Amino acid sequence: MPKQTYDAIVIGTGAGGGMAIKVLCEAGLKVCALNSGRRLDPEKDFRNHRMPWELKYRGFGDPKTHPRSGTDIVGESEYVEGAWETGPGCTTAPGTKWISARCSAVGGRTNFWGRSSTRFGDIDFRACSLDGHDVDWPVTYEEIAPYYARVEKMIGVASTVQNRPSNPDGFYLPPMNFRCFDHILQKGAEKVGVPYLPDRIAQLTVAHEGHPACHYCGNCTSGCEVGAFFSTPFFLLPSAEASGNLELWTNAVARNILVDENGQAAGVAYIDRTTRQEHQVYGRTVVVAASCIETARILLNSKSRHWPTGIANSSGQLGRNLCDHAYGISASGYLPQLLGQPSFPDNVSDSSIAWMPRWQNLQNPHEERFIRGYSLYPDGGCWEYPAYEDNIEGFGSSFKREMKRRYPTPVSIMTQIPTLRSDKNYVDIDPVAKDSLGIPLPRIHFRWGENELKMWEHAKKASADVLHAAGGVLEYVAETPENPGYSQHETGTCRMGNDPKKFVTNRFGQTHDVHNLYVCDASVFLNCTDKPTTLSILAFALRTSEYLVEQVRRTAS
Amino acid sequence: MGGQGIERREILRILSAAAAVGQFPGFCKWSFACGHLGNAVAQIRPAVYRPLFFTVPEYALLDCLTDIIIPRDASPGAREAGVSEFIDLMVSRDPELQRDFRRGLEWLEAHSRATHAKLFLKLTAEQQIALLEPLAYKVKSRKGEERGREFFALLREYTVMGFYTSEIGLKQLDFPGLKFYAESPACPHVDDPEHLHLPPPQG
Repeated sequence: MPKQTYDAIVIGTGAGGGMAIKVLCEAGLKVCALNSGRRLDPEKDFRNHRMPWELKYRGFGDPKTHPRSGTDIVGESEYVEGAWETGPGCTTAPGTKWISARCSAVGGRTNFWGRSSTRFGDIDFRACSLDGHDVDWPVTYEEIAPYYARVEKMIGVASTVQNRPSNPDGFYLPPMNFRCFDHILQKGAEKVGVPYLPDRIAQLTVAHEGHPACHYCGNCTSGCEVGAFFSTPFFLLPSAEASGNLELWTNAVARNILVDENGQAAGVAYIDRTTRQEHQVYGRTVVVAASCIETARILLNSKSRHWPTGIANSSGQLGRNLCDHAYGISASGYLPQLLGQPSFPDNVSDSSIAWMPRWQNLQNPHEERFIRGYSLYPDGGCWEYPAYEDNIEGFGSSFKREMKRRYPTPVSIMTQIPTLRSDKNYVDIDPVAKDSLGIPLPRIHFRWGENELKMWEHAKKASADVLHAAGGVLEYVAETPENPGYSQHETGTCRMGNDPKKFVTNRFGQTHDVHNLYVCDASVFLNCTDKPTTLSILAFALRTSEYLVEQVRRTAS
Repeated sequence: MGGQGIERREILRILSAAAAVGQFPGFCKWSFACGHLGNAVAQIRPAVYRPLFFTVPEYALLDCLTDIIIPRDASPGAREAGVSEFIDLMVSRDPELQRDFRRGLEWLEAHSRATHAKLFLKLTAEQQIALLEPLAYKVKSRKGEERGREFFALLREYTVMGFYTSEIGLKQLDFPGLKFYAESPACPHVDDPEHLHLPPPQG
């Protein structure tokens, strides 16, 4: 049988891979997409509309697989089974704690993401020019802005125009409404000089481009059965499949990139998860979009005569410069104003709908004891599970009454802090450990730096100040962020830059060394900024994919 | 924009299909507490619950304790919501929980015998509460009862987990979620952003 050669092989179907698949298929390229897990059927697999008592373990998960003492479980839950990897996704160097959350289902983490969608701006792209740390991005905001605009129109983002110096505005659907606690916290934030605004959320407040409006059931992170927020399967794959140019292979775990006699990409070796057999697929171009750490793993595992330390690694920077958000609830408490008030459907997104966007170091990049800045994300009110029980003493009827009285009152403030790029934070390949399919595991080296810990101290105080100024009672302040990896906003490992000696990819996400090898995920980002990554992954992937199409057409003509 | 894609009635169909529930054999009060399962379940309801992990005396003590923590008063309590069955299920799946619950129940029995020379279940309601209060309130805590306090915290945590994920418990909170809203619910107190002039609290 003659071997088929596709125009492009795309590894991964998350935000970046999904965008590449859409753009390449619509441009007429024959695409083979490899996805490491199965395809979900939203009606069967998403149990987001079940009441907790309709689930065997009430949504807490089987204690056998989710033991009480188990730490840092991210992903797999009773509401969706078989979407996340449960085996170890990495090993860690001594002193590193890393939470690995890999969603192997088609669409990856876009099925369950938090939907916060703000643009990066020149305050991020030109941060080095402002404060002297690291280097500027090889792109400007002006260059990327049109891609952001197209992505926002494609996926639908609800927010308002805010004129914040830290956050360029975009194109928005009507914002979600503030709830009681939002208004109270907003008043408090005003008093201490902190902005409190609607966040930018890819959740459809009106029907948009063929997708229905949200119905605010509030269980988004268990997957949306009706596709009322952006995910690859609902928003990007349908047009790619309709083009007739896509073959999407599931349970195909990419192992390494194959090279031709010149060291250029020739295809991908993958393992069929169901048979455990290794196969090869051939393509004229290869797009790696397996998410930051997996992308680095695949490239580092692609060793050959031409690439003894991993493909496209002549710079030695492959796997380096791992960044993440120092992330977690910095403070929580309750608002006595709302004690005993009727319950209200406050949980409309399983996440935050408001934010306190970066307000530090805006006039002058050195006005604080740290450089750059962070954002806060408040939440609260009546959720399904009354997690505030810890803060009420006792038992009996008085306890029952107090549980009800407190129901509308809890508030918490989440902090999202960028780490600075550091030589100490990187991914390499564990010399010994392999996953269940025999593929060498990535090993993470990561520690918080001084700048991010100073920010955490600042954020703790700011969170407490907002809560106090709002008339709230502060009950908890977190001494440290969650362990690294928790935010699932990792970036770096294949950073983009103009100098092939210092960067893995060029300003278009094409590897400097291998011209038919592209990277379409947050691996190419210079750092993680204070913003979430998905919207930017989509914008950069759109740009990279169109550049790829141009290159293919140029070679063909 | 509007009118494209999935119709509203299609969404409602999906919502109602999702409400179809599986049954978990072996559970009586808990399944029973899920009213929508209907008579079929009431008929197969076993007369006596057979614990998966706990011994019969342990289970009786556990059931009594959950009922003290969340009692029936004007509204149903932990017993009606089948909380001890939920705890038994959770504990049966986690060896560490088994150790902690078993040791905790033993500690409480020993404490009861040492104080009143009786099993906890044989004490008067006042005596039971008097034994538990030092475990539940910081200001009443006594030296030497640290293990009891730890156990009480664990027990209360699982009682809360079981109760406020049951239909009975979430109804008491008037849980407003998992419903269909045409637009995102907005604060109804637009003229009072600081919420300083709300109607008097309920309850």
